[in-house]
Amino acid sequence: MKLSLKSVVLLALAVLLASCTQVRPWEMGYLAKKEMAWDADPLEAALNDHIFFSKEASSGGNSAAGGGCGCN
Amino acid sequence: MKPFRQRSKSLLALSSTALAIPGIASGDAPPPQTTLSYKFSNYNEDDMSRSQVPFGSLERYDIDVHQFRLLTPVGRDYSLQIDANHENMSGASPWFTTAGTNGSPIINMSGASGITDERSELAVGVRYYLSDGSIGGAVGYSEENDYRATYFSFSGQKTINEGMTTVSVGISHSADDIFPTDAAIFNRVRNADKQSSSAVISISQIINQRSTFQLAGSLTEQSGFLSDPYKFRDVRPDNKTQIALSGAYRYFVVNADAALHTDYRYYHDDFGVSSHTLSVAWHQNLGNRWQLVPNLRYYSQSAADFYTNIDDFLKPLTEFQSSDYRLSAYGAFSGGASIVASINDWTATLTAERYVADHKHSAYAVTQPGAALVSYTRVSLGFDFTF
Amino acid sequence: MTTATLKRYGFQAMGVPCEIQIYDSSRINARQRIQELAREVSRLDKKYSRYRRDSFITEINLSAGSKLGIKIDTETRGILNHALKCFEESEGLFDVTAGALYRLWDFRQARIPAQDSIDKVLRSVGFHKLSWQGQRLHLPAGMELDLGGIVKEYAADAAAKMARRMGIQHGLINLGGDFAVIGEQPGERPWTVGIANPGERRSMMAKIDLSAGGLASSGDYERYFELNGERYSHILNPKTGWPSKGLRAVSVAANLCTVAGSFATIAMLKPENEAIAWLEESGLPHVYMTNAEQIAGPALKQESATPAAEPAAESL
Repeated sequence: MKLSLKSVVLLALAVLLASCTQVRPWEMGYLAKKEMAWDADPLEAALNDHIFFSKEASSGGNSAAGGGCGCN
Repeated sequence: MKPFRQRSKSLLALSSTALAIPGIASGDAPPPQTTLSYKFSNYNEDDMSRSQVPFGSLERYDIDVHQFRLLTPVGRDYSLQIDANHENMSGASPWFTTAGTNGSPIINMSGASGITDERSELAVGVRYYLSDGSIGGAVGYSEENDYRATYFSFSGQKTINEGMTTVSVGISHSADDIFPTDAAIFNRVRNADKQSSSAVISISQIINQRSTFQLAGSLTEQSGFLSDPYKFRDVRPDNKTQIALSGAYRYFVVNADAALHTDYRYYHDDFGVSSHTLSVAWHQNLGNRWQLVPNLRYYSQSAADFYTNIDDFLKPLTEFQSSDYRLSAYGAFSGGASIVASINDWTATLTAERYVADHKHSAYAVTQPGAALVSYTRVSLGFDFTF
Repeated sequence: MTTATLKRYGFQAMGVPCEIQIYDSSRINARQRIQELAREVSRLDKKYSRYRRDSFITEINLSAGSKLGIKIDTETRGILNHALKCFEESEGLFDVTAGALYRLWDFRQARIPAQDSIDKVLRSVGFHKLSWQGQRLHLPAGMELDLGGIVKEYAADAAAKMARRMGIQHGLINLGGDFAVIGEQPGERPWTVGIANPGERRSMMAKIDLSAGGLASSGDYERYFELNGERYSHILNPKTGWPSKGLRAVSVAANLCTVAGSFATIAMLKPENEAIAWLEESGLPHVYMTNAEQIAGPALKQESATPAAEPAAESL
């Protein structure tokens, strides 16, 4: 099970990287748009992280944890 | 004729060195202007039903949240970020669960008159920008009348592969103190501490002119007092290891003038909880000034190994057990929408969101359905001012 | 749809008249932003002008011959790295180390320097004589760097980049005829820029439509002299030390103003036929005037110079 998951992820990654086309900086107009950011609204993202951190058992992912709180 | 389609060797050579000069380079740079942001939110949990709570208050948490952020460039190479948050909480939370006459759990709420608390947090971060990356650090402090957290973090990111790939790493540490109120009256732990350290790595990759992908992993180690001091009987291990793996995808739909966001996360910890989180958002531009952003999220987790939905007061204290609904198996759907208006230097954002958790929505097997799962409604109004 | 109107601001920098145009809906805001962009241009002017005693380039040139050399910052390293690439791509014709040569030829006095002095100066000209390790730069005695052929174009790109980061979506940076654009004009209209005629400055040699990137020109605009029927251009060949005898003027559009400028300068330094072939091979839209004052080039036709494959791709 573990092995197959790993190979699926690696295969997906290989396909993904192979399908990348070189994007020159002056062609990054769409990617530079604010709504294309990983977090388009940072305060909204911070608030949601805080709520889910206090109401669900899971945390972490793509950012390092901040401080704890009595909510959890 | 597409004049730039065939690129001569000289053009590529001269473009690559020109693009590496800092003023043009696509690498990191401090934000060009200062942004002040404020967001007010009201978070309101649904009341419990009388069938679940025979005695006492049915009302759960009602929280007002104020968030402030200042992000400003300092000189040519630095940025400064200051975050200040304040929360006012009132309400009650489940204290312990017992079996009702029909065997289903009934909940005993804490504080007949309800809990009131405040949380204040201040964090200051500095970033230094290099031509192809940045490094930064932050310190923060959060205080409640029964909890104190002091934390710091460091992170760095570097752009490689001609601007196509960004690698980031970060570490953080939080030292927390817990000093429950009314500890003597209720025989609660009087003072305890908790340490959390986490490390994260992420790789962002540009796929083409319209889409990017990010893979990330984080590892968190917690030690110390990890139980809930307010629950009548809550005994958890004093070490916890958490891993999370996430993937994010952004796609710009040119014809619709909209951006699609999809995010997925897998989580696992050694309390026995695993979870999947999937969220999708659609950022629709409406002319130059308006934006509508609907979003949907699904979350489901498995139960912790020691979760019980009916507290067993006869169990020896050395055995782990918790009736915290957050350790039960359940699923949660949430959805909402934001309306964003931008006028000159101002941006206003109005958000409404609804969250409903239920063991019936679980993607994992549910052996002991959790009692007191939370549902809430949140409304936020935020402003950004850039100058 | 948009209520943004065009705001313009003119100023003097790098010894030439400059103008910044942006589309913005707020007048106060637009002025602040434009001034911020003009400050970026002035910053680069102050840092790299050979005619300022307090500039960094003067400090670099004063260090020539010093054993210690001079410590250079990331930006200067980036510019020098590009200059090295220009040197290589032009097979030694575009050489920023030829600054002393320009001091020797006095175009106002219309005088040809003695061959002896040209030979003497040439001994300290040549990019390969520069010793450059990491952050330390060592100039041999007598060498003078002149980054003027790169910095003006770079300043236009840097200002355009800064404008994009401020959220400006439509704008034009014009530094004395070197252009960098920020997006198209609203309504997907390209920017039309005029190219001055080297013969009569006030008249137009050509017009080029720009949708992205930049445009730069090089020519012996008014800076040449004639002696005994021979024309001496101010563009000097660093190998011979004598004025180059190629095209009269050339304008190139490219993904960046800096790239366009490098192409234009190199084209001016090559013999006419080679220059025309080289420009052709680059695939870049361009217009040139030959020594016989003939105006030609693919950008003369009614097509717009669109560097990026996607018209809306406008960010650096």
